[in-house]
Amino acid sequence: MSKKINRKVSPMAQQAVDHYIEQSLLLNAAFPNDKVIAGRQRAQVLFAEQAFPTLRDEDWQYTKLTGFVQNRFESLGKHSLKLDDLHTFLPPYAVTKIVFVDGWFSEELSDDLSVLPNGVSFESTRDVFEVPGATDQLFGREDLINKTPFGVLNSLLMADGYYLQISANTLLETPIFVLYIQSLDNQMATVRNHVVLEENAEMTLVERFVSLSADESFKGCANVVTEMDIAKSARMKQIVVQEQNHSSYYFNNQFIFQDDQSTFNTFYTGLGSLISRHQNHLFMNGEHIENRQNSACFGRGQQTMDSRTNTQHNQVWGKSQQLHKYVLDDSAVGVFNGMIRVDRLAQKTDGQMDNKNLLLSAKAKVDCKPQLEIYADDVKCSHGSATGQIDQDQIFYLQARGILRAKAIEMITQSFLMEPAEDITNGNIRQWIMATLADQLNAKDSL
Amino acid sequence: MLLKVENLQAKIDEKQILKGLNLEVKAGEVHAIMGPNGAGKSTLASVLAGRDDYEVTAGTVDFDGEDLLELAPDERARKGLFLAFQYPVEIPGVSNKLFMQTALNGVRAEQGLPPLDMFDFDEYAKDKIELLDMRADLLERSVNVGFSGGEKKRNDIFQMALLAPKLCILDETDSGLDIDALGLVANGINTLRSPDRGFIVVTHYQRLLNYIKPDHVHVLYNGQIIKSGGFELVHELEEFGYDGIVQKHEQAQ
Repeated sequence: MSKKINRKVSPMAQQAVDHYIEQSLLLNAAFPNDKVIAGRQRAQVLFAEQAFPTLRDEDWQYTKLTGFVQNRFESLGKHSLKLDDLHTFLPPYAVTKIVFVDGWFSEELSDDLSVLPNGVSFESTRDVFEVPGATDQLFGREDLINKTPFGVLNSLLMADGYYLQISANTLLETPIFVLYIQSLDNQMATVRNHVVLEENAEMTLVERFVSLSADESFKGCANVVTEMDIAKSARMKQIVVQEQNHSSYYFNNQFIFQDDQSTFNTFYTGLGSLISRHQNHLFMNGEHIENRQNSACFGRGQQTMDSRTNTQHNQVWGKSQQLHKYVLDDSAVGVFNGMIRVDRLAQKTDGQMDNKNLLLSAKAKVDCKPQLEIYADDVKCSHGSATGQIDQDQIFYLQARGILRAKAIEMITQSFLMEPAEDITNGNIRQWIMATLADQLNAKDSL
Repeated sequence: MLLKVENLQAKIDEKQILKGLNLEVKAGEVHAIMGPNGAGKSTLASVLAGRDDYEVTAGTVDFDGEDLLELAPDERARKGLFLAFQYPVEIPGVSNKLFMQTALNGVRAEQGLPPLDMFDFDEYAKDKIELLDMRADLLERSVNVGFSGGEKKRNDIFQMALLAPKLCILDETDSGLDIDALGLVANGINTLRSPDRGFIVVTHYQRLLNYIKPDHVHVLYNGQIIKSGGFELVHELEEFGYDGIVQKHEQAQ
């Protein structure tokens, strides 16, 4: 959460602020809905006042936005993608496919959602705008969302997204796969999602962020806010794969609200983008809640890989587990920030957070800040963070069995990065993720 | 001659450890190298396996007709040299199966043999797992992670059985083993004895040697072999200790 400080906004940042406010006015004109416009206007006041975070903001001191602020991303581009363009981005297992192009839901490219199983309903956020009264569900948590700088920008430029509801006792077996594809140069995809799992419902959500072109002269920005309500005894599994090209930007704020006995397992892998920041704000608002938040990030070149969690234990018998791993090569920067806060009501909390980092080059670096704030007296909490280089003894051990040095390093690095993915329970998805990680690691030498 | 070490000298961090060591091992022979702490036993094993912490300052090592010191550690292993580690290393996330299948196929490639796929590999590994009485899920587990000291040593001997090397160097494989694990390790070694294979067993104690009855026993002291003999030398050491033999050596000089 950003602290209020007296800001001096640089001329460059001021131009960017003016530009994005102008973009929001264009959106207002294109999609005139009073409530949405009112939401954009509330965000506009905040955004004009706060502008973009700088290195002076405690939460942003390691994630430098000066380069980002020089961009003037636009919101209303019109794509012309065909189904054939998507094949390489689809996973090798059965899914229900939902496609967003440059932030806009594409009905043509998505599977036929009218035949979703009973108990599952999907609406694009833009359609929700058109339903009288329905927009309330988009603004219920506006104050919370607008506490984060990119939440404000999201509210300012909110354009599309989805509202997904799984009704009580519905077990959705086929994973929902959401593909966010950047197809046009210089577009900002502003996505606002809301997922609701009613009592005892279960689903798996796989989200993948890609760029149509790997060409670095082509850049885009994804700015996503997702709210998730996980009701009593409901079970939510989520996989987020971020593989945008290396000149793009990615900001994702997830606000998750768990009720009694629910479980939430999320895995994030950051592989692409020049700057990426993935953040979970997790509120454990019931008893006997369990969750796991894992991440695996691999950065190279000039990439900044920022991933953070804020886990709030608010009731008794909550269990949270986390494993976050980074592999950083070249001049890449990793940033990890994890906070576990245990309310005084949250006795018997079990909170574990672990962060491990492997640096493959002398110029790579990682800034990590695991934090615990505990106000209850009967809890079990731990956090740890360790950063190092590949253990020479491990390399020698493999070499002494006849494995080439380069292969030994590859095996050790791969296994290091894959550990957080081992908790993915769906075998197809786990293997797909591991193959994706292996491809990225093996591609590093070919760049 | 499988291994011929002549006048080997090596140092680490400016400290001279090996000071002109000579050793010859023929295929089919089992040599024990014994000595007090700090004599250079583990240094010898490490230098032969190619650990680059040590700098060889003089001497030659011929391994089956090749200049061993010119080879990278992985090349030495592919050509049939095996080191069982004093402290086998844990590698989280790398399964024993991936590790050993990769290693074995490297050795097979060197021998001009086709690689084994995972089914052939499982078949090949099965009786070796039983020989060392390893856990049934060994291959699926990460290399040495969560293993006791004894299990790690057994895992190294298991790897040795899989790779079927020409020369096996065991660096204090017996240290820290309880009597049951020692029996399994010794049995593994004895099963692997063959006319085409040589062994160098580096140890501080005679315990393991009573099980495997080496053909030759050498006492290493201060970077040199000061006495060589047959198995009876083990009993002499038992009786007089290292001090007795070292004293005799120093008086003779």
